[in-house]
Amino acid sequence: MKAVFSSEWLKLRSVTSTYHTIGTAALMVALGAAWTFYVSGLADERGSLRAAAPEEGFLPLVQISLAVLGVLAITNEYATGMIRTSLITVPKRGTLLLAKAGIVGLTTFVAANAILLVTYSASRLIASDRHLGFNGTSFADDLPKLLASALSVTALALVGLGLGAAICSTAGAIVSVVALLFVLPGVVNYLPPPWNTRVATLLLPNLVPQIADERLSTRLGDGFLPPWAALAVLIAYPIVTLTIGYFLLRRRDA
Amino acid sequence: MLDAVIELHQLTKHYGGTLAVDDLSFKVEPGHVTGFLGPNGAGKSTTMRLILGLDAPTSGQALVNGRRYATLSRPMHEVGALLDAGAVHGGRSAYNHLLCLARTNDISATRVAEALEQVGLSGVARKRVGGFSLGMKQRLGIAAALLGDPGVLMFDEPVNGLDPDGVRWIRDLMRSLAAEGRTILLSSHLMSEMALTAERIVIIGRGKLIAESTVAELTARYPSLEDAYMALTADSVQYGAAR
Ligand SMILES: Nc1ncnc2c1ncn2[C@@H]1O[C@H](COP(=O)(O)OP(=O)(O)OP(=O)(O)O)[C@@H](O)[C@H]1O
Ligand SMILES: [Mg+2]
Repeated sequence: MKAVFSSEWLKLRSVTSTYHTIGTAALMVALGAAWTFYVSGLADERGSLRAAAPEEGFLPLVQISLAVLGVLAITNEYATGMIRTSLITVPKRGTLLLAKAGIVGLTTFVAANAILLVTYSASRLIASDRHLGFNGTSFADDLPKLLASALSVTALALVGLGLGAAICSTAGAIVSVVALLFVLPGVVNYLPPPWNTRVATLLLPNLVPQIADERLSTRLGDGFLPPWAALAVLIAYPIVTLTIGYFLLRRRDA
Repeated sequence: MLDAVIELHQLTKHYGGTLAVDDLSFKVEPGHVTGFLGPNGAGKSTTMRLILGLDAPTSGQALVNGRRYATLSRPMHEVGALLDAGAVHGGRSAYNHLLCLARTNDISATRVAEALEQVGLSGVARKRVGGFSLGMKQRLGIAAALLGDPGVLMFDEPVNGLDPDGVRWIRDLMRSLAAEGRTILLSSHLMSEMALTAERIVIIGRGKLIAESTVAELTARYPSLEDAYMALTADSVQYGAAR
């Protein structure tokens, strides 16, 4: 198992797509700084205002970029045929997928935390003592939300890996991730109440605030899920998709 | 290494309506090169995928050293295989590609460098595989198969794309690997080359066994191995040009 982990770690490090996806995710730092400069300028004219925190507003960028990293970890093997070479060296398919999941999980969790923390710190430094709405709370208060955000990135990357294993196609898996993250939340609004809000509480983008014990958007009312339940739902997403991916990978001819 | 063998027992594989391998049974023994022949679409590549556990047989089984491939825990030490030289990520260097494979089976970086040396790719070890020619990729695939110093080796058309020097190199390599007591299954469409490399021949057509013989026997009965092949597979060619 350790041997397969070290191989998967090298596989991830030795392709440029890894650096492209992490680089795209790291754009959050620049965008977050630009946003904070912009709202700081507004605040200097008008006094205080209520702006969204950059590490919240740009979170989808990090989520989607690192989800693509998760998808590519397996679909680039299907695209090149490398999957056969991989399965010849590691015939136990569960071991191969588990090693990929471990490496994708660790890499995205570390990358997401680093990107979020730098964005968070930079924006607070730029904001200085202005009242921008997002910088009034202490780091200790903001920490649960930051960790939940990073965890959501990792969960989504693993969902990407699971979908990639299930569908074998880069495009198909990325479209599915986009649907989960951006399309589904919009569609759910049209469900008859109270189902719209009930289902919405279970959707990926809404889990982060619920884990941090925050109100969801006013239209949805307060989150229905207590933090522990929201956390459990977040963890269930990758477990379910990876399990489906594993069964399809095991049954299918490579 | 003497009992290192490949055994097929009534191996059968359907892909939807296509019968790719049909009740195929034969053994490949150590100590010589076994040539694996048959027309396009006969089922040679499929048979190799079934042996390697990549595809699941519809019925029957394939054993390597008496066990199913999928049950081997460090398979590269027992079996080396080259199926498709193009099945590599073009963005990786040759060295990193081999090291990725080596690590899964606890094979050292020193051994990776040795294998690159053995196939003549040391000079381009740090170059992207995407820029390799077909022949260079074949050499890389052969290096991958040799990494674990296995007793059983399978090569699917390895001479494809090799220059005359490379063709001779493969011939010598196959024969010396066999002389070391290894079991070698080699598919190819080049009859004259096969006549020089292999000692035993397995011919299949439409997924079925047509002949299992030695090169000596076949060339005694027919003018050449090519004539033997033509005569034996005459009824099994599926994708022949109109004459
Ligand atoms: N994954 C697959 N799905 C559907 N049919 C397949 C698949 N793989 C092989 N076949 C079919 O099985 C038959 C045997 O193919 P195979 O590639 O094993 O032949 P081959 O002997 O290697 O031919 P060649 O000499 O051209 O390489 C062919 O009819 C092919 O179309
Ligand atoms: Mg073939």
